[in-house]
Amino acid sequence: MAEESVKQIIFRIQRYDPEKGRILRMQEFTVPASRGMTVLDGLIYIKEHLDSTLTFRTSCRMGICGSCGMLVNNYPHLVCHTQIEEFNSNKLTVKPLPNLPIIKDLVVDLTSMFENHKAIKPYILRSDKQEMANPTAEFAETPQELADFLQFSYCVKCGICISACPTSASDKVFLGPQAMAQCYRYCADNRDEGQQERFPVVDSDHGIWRCHLAGACSEACPKGVDPALAIQLLKRRLVSQALGTARKKQPAKPVPPPTEFKEKVPFPDFTVKKD
Amino acid sequence: MRTTRFYILHMLTGALVAVFLGIHIISLHLDTILGFFGMDVTDAVAFESMMERAGQGIWAALYIALLAVVLYHALYGLRGIILELTPSPKAGRIVTRVFVIIGIIAFAWGTYVPIALLSG
Ligand code: HEM
Ligand code: HEM
Ligand code: SF4
Ligand code: FES
Repeated sequence: MAEESVKQIIFRIQRYDPEKGRILRMQEFTVPASRGMTVLDGLIYIKEHLDSTLTFRTSCRMGICGSCGMLVNNYPHLVCHTQIEEFNSNKLTVKPLPNLPIIKDLVVDLTSMFENHKAIKPYILRSDKQEMANPTAEFAETPQELADFLQFSYCVKCGICISACPTSASDKVFLGPQAMAQCYRYCADNRDEGQQERFPVVDSDHGIWRCHLAGACSEACPKGVDPALAIQLLKRRLVSQALGTARKKQPAKPVPPPTEFKEKVPFPDFTVKKD
Repeated sequence: MRTTRFYILHMLTGALVAVFLGIHIISLHLDTILGFFGMDVTDAVAFESMMERAGQGIWAALYIALLAVVLYHALYGLRGIILELTPSPKAGRIVTRVFVIIGIIAFAWGTYVPIALLSG
């Protein structure tokens, strides 16, 4: 096996320490990077070997917790999900996500995103409170009904779409693509009937109509959620409701588990015999 | 459904501006195009032609409609832009009120002329 090559990569990192005043500065570190190393691995290397004061947020290291959104070479990435090699460059600039307040170094304050997310009630809302409190059965959902919102349910709340959105950049109280995509995700769920509770939140002065379909959120989303599509579909629902052309749909009913079972089909014989 | 209704109206007026302004510009400036379709227009922008149109209800109605539609579309569009730059509900309300007042004054002023011309 050929010897693994190690390249020296320069990490230019934006530093900010609130205790030392409101100064942003860039600091350079040299990181020996081998094949397969992620940008996050580089940051961990710096923290372990070069400067333990470097602050960043990470948890799962596998692209599912949404902690590690950062701007690498001016494009937002989940750094645990992004290999150093991808940039084809020996210099990487790492900054915190824009459009969000910086807490320290590469850590941004996601409070506003979570507040907006909570405001759209991101859970199944139904009128049958009794069934919700003491479930007797599962709710029916066909694969097609699942496909209607599945893509939008992959959101990991990383805030990358907000950092990419031009409206979020100028309007600090804009509801943002993350919350609006999740609003659609729950409204499109066939088990849900909470649309009337969620619509007033998005149908507001700093809500859905401040979206001009720039599409930057969908371009940047590391999970393929396509928030812009969700927002457009939500706009369509709002418009057809305002025009009174919306179709009324009953939410899924609970289906009790089957009481009769067919006999199991026996496992087929192996075509390749062992002996 | 408030914001959605206003936005639907915004899209609708956008389309209507294209239609009404289209009629306006074609009839006043593009007489060669009208000539191509066999309509004889001589000196559309002459004072006499203007006064002749001013005496016809259909033109007065068209201009009042164009004015209403343009005012709503332009002011609501500008309001949207300004709202994005004034992220406080109070500033937003002030912007809305100022624009409603500007709109009403401009509409009253603008409709007065064709109506006065129409009634002689
Ligand atoms: C906001 C949209 C507009 C409104 C409400 C509007 C309204 C009017 C009215 C009421 C008249 C006089 C009536 C007549 O001649 O029959 C007029 C004349 C005229 N308009 Fe417009 N207009 C608009 C946009 C435009 C645009 C975009 C152009 C240029 C492309 C234009 C060019 C003219 C010209 C050249 C005249 C003739 C002036 C004259 O003969 O003294 N207008 N407009
Ligand atoms: C007086 C000047 C005008 C101003 C200030 C203006 C402003 C705007 C603004 C701010 C928007 C919203 C865009 C968005 O939310 O993404 C818009 C949408 C629109 N405008 Fe205008 N506009 C003007 C003239 C026109 C004209 C002359 C037309 C047609 C020929 C037009 C057609 C439209 C249409 C169809 C839309 C809807 C597009 C959408 O909802 O995404 N506008 N306008
Ligand atoms: S929609 Fe995509 S970019 Fe936005 S928060 Fe969810 S996972 Fe992140
Ligand atoms: S560390 Fe969890 S998404 Fe990157």
